[in-house]
Amino acid sequence: MISFSFLGIEKSYSDPSGKKLRVLGPVDLTVESGQFLCLLGPTGCGKTTLLRILSRLESADSGKIAMGSGNLGYVFQQGALFPWMTVESNVMFPLKAKGVKPGLCRSRAGEMLRKVGLYEFRRSFPHELSGGMQQRTALARGLVTEPDILLLDEPFASLDTRTGINLQEMLRKLCRSLSTTVVFVTHNIEEAVYMADRIVVMGHRPGRIVRDEILSLEWPRDRLSSDFTGVLLSFRQTFEELVDQ
Amino acid sequence: MDGRAPSERNTKAFWQRIRDLLPGLIIPVLILAAWYFYVDGSFLPSPSAVFYILLHPAEDILSCGSLLWNIGVSLVRVLLGLFIAIVVGTPFGFMMGANTGFRKFTSVVTELARPLSPIALLPLSIIVFKDTSFTEVLGLNSLKYTRHVLNELQIGMIFILAWGGVFPIILETMHGVRGVRKVYVEAARVLGASRTFIFRHVLLPASLPDIFTGYRMAVGRCWMVIIAAEMLPGTNSGIGYLLRYSYQLSRLDIMIACILIIAVIGFVFSRGLEYAGDRWLLLRARER
Repeated sequence: MISFSFLGIEKSYSDPSGKKLRVLGPVDLTVESGQFLCLLGPTGCGKTTLLRILSRLESADSGKIAMGSGNLGYVFQQGALFPWMTVESNVMFPLKAKGVKPGLCRSRAGEMLRKVGLYEFRRSFPHELSGGMQQRTALARGLVTEPDILLLDEPFASLDTRTGINLQEMLRKLCRSLSTTVVFVTHNIEEAVYMADRIVVMGHRPGRIVRDEILSLEWPRDRLSSDFTGVLLSFRQTFEELVDQ
Repeated sequence: MDGRAPSERNTKAFWQRIRDLLPGLIIPVLILAAWYFYVDGSFLPSPSAVFYILLHPAEDILSCGSLLWNIGVSLVRVLLGLFIAIVVGTPFGFMMGANTGFRKFTSVVTELARPLSPIALLPLSIIVFKDTSFTEVLGLNSLKYTRHVLNELQIGMIFILAWGGVFPIILETMHGVRGVRKVYVEAARVLGASRTFIFRHVLLPASLPDIFTGYRMAVGRCWMVIIAAEMLPGTNSGIGYLLRYSYQLSRLDIMIACILIIAVIGFVFSRGLEYAGDRWLLLRARER
C-alpha cells in the first residue's frame, strides 16, 4: 500500500533582489506504508522544504501530492516543545487539538510517556530536562496520535553520539510497533544507514533525488559488521561526489 | 524538588523575600535618621509631626475627609482606569501583533497618541466630560450629595487614566505576540491545532509575560498620572488633592505624609505585581 507520493514537486524562493531561486525539484517520490525512509543530503538541498510541503506548512509551486489520511506527526530539529507546558501537557497537546476527551488524553499521553521512559517526569517542564529527554518528549508528542506518517527534521542532530544512538533504537522500535511510515531527514550518514529501510540521497541547486536505495541489511544492525561499513562507505562516496560538484 | 510540604516551602520563600529586602532599607533608614537629628521644625516639619498624621489615618484632615478616604479614592480611580485600559488595550494589542493589516492601519495613530502625556489631555477632558461622575452616569441621584466614592469618579479623570495605561499595554502585548517563536505556531499547526486553538493554547500563554509587563508599566504610569491630575483643577478629593491643598495651607507635615504614602503605594504596586507575576503567571514561558 502506498502511504504518500510526490509527483513533479517544485519550489522556488525569491532572493532579496527579487530573483527567483529554485530550491527544489522537480521531485518524484513514492513511499510505501510502514516504510522507514531516510532523506539524506547536505545542508541546503531542500530536505526540510520537502517535509514542510508534505506537512502543508508550505505549498509547492507545482506538482501533485497524493496522501491517504492527513494524520501527521512532526518532530522539529530542536524539539519545539512548548516551554510553558509540562511534559505531559506537551504530549497531550495534539490529542486536545483534535478534540479527544480530557480523560482519554491523559491516559493516552501517560501510555506514550511510559513507552519513551519519561512517565516519572510528566510533571517537569522542558527546561528541567536534558536534551535527550526533551527529544524523547518531542517523539512522544509526535507519536501520541498514532499518526500514519511521522516526519522528523534532524531530531537528534544536537545530541551527543551515545544519546543519539539510544534514541535511534527507541524511534525505530516505536515506529515498528505502531507500523508508522517514517520520513527522517538527516545529514548524518551513519544514522541513516542504521535506521532506514530505504535511503533517498538528495543533491542541491536545485534539490533533487540523486540516489534511491532499499537497504538489504538485516535487523538488528551491527555498526561494526563489514556489511554495515560497506553500505556506509558507498553512501559516503555518493555524498562526497555531491559536495565536490 | 525537596520533600517538604508546599506551605512550609512558601513560608520559607516569604522570609527569604523579606531578607532580600533588608539591604535596600539601609538608605531610607539613614535618610530618616538625618531628618530626625538635623532638621529643625522651622523649615521642615519634624518626623514626629509627620508620623502623627500617618498613625492616625482615619481622622479628618483639613475637612477633606480622612487620609484613608483620600487614599481609597485615588486607588479606586486608578483601578477603574487600569481596568478599562486592560479591557481595551489587551485585545487591541493582540490584533496589532497578530494581524499585519491591522497594525499598519493603526500604527500611526497609536504612535502619535502614545507620547502625548495624559496630563496634557486633562483640560480638554474636563471641557468634554464636565465634572460628570459615575453617580450621574449610573443614575444614582440619591447618592449625589453624600460622601460616596462614586461621586469622586469623574469620567474625565478616569478617561485620562485609561489613556495613560492603555498604550504600554497595547505596545507590550503587540511585542509579545509578534515575539512568539514561529516554530511554536508551526508545531501547533502540524500537530493539528485550529486557529482558535493556537490562539488560546499557544499565542496567549507564550505572550503572557510581555502582556503582564505591559500591565505593570500601566499601573506605574496610572499612579503617576492620578497624583498629577488630582493636583490640577477638576477634583477635590484624592491623595494628590490633599497634597496640593496642604501645601496651599502650609501644612507641610500633611504634605510630606502624602509624599511618603504615594511613594510606598507605588512601591507596593510594582513589587506586588512582580511577585504575583513570578508565582502565578508562568513567567517561565520565557526561553531559558
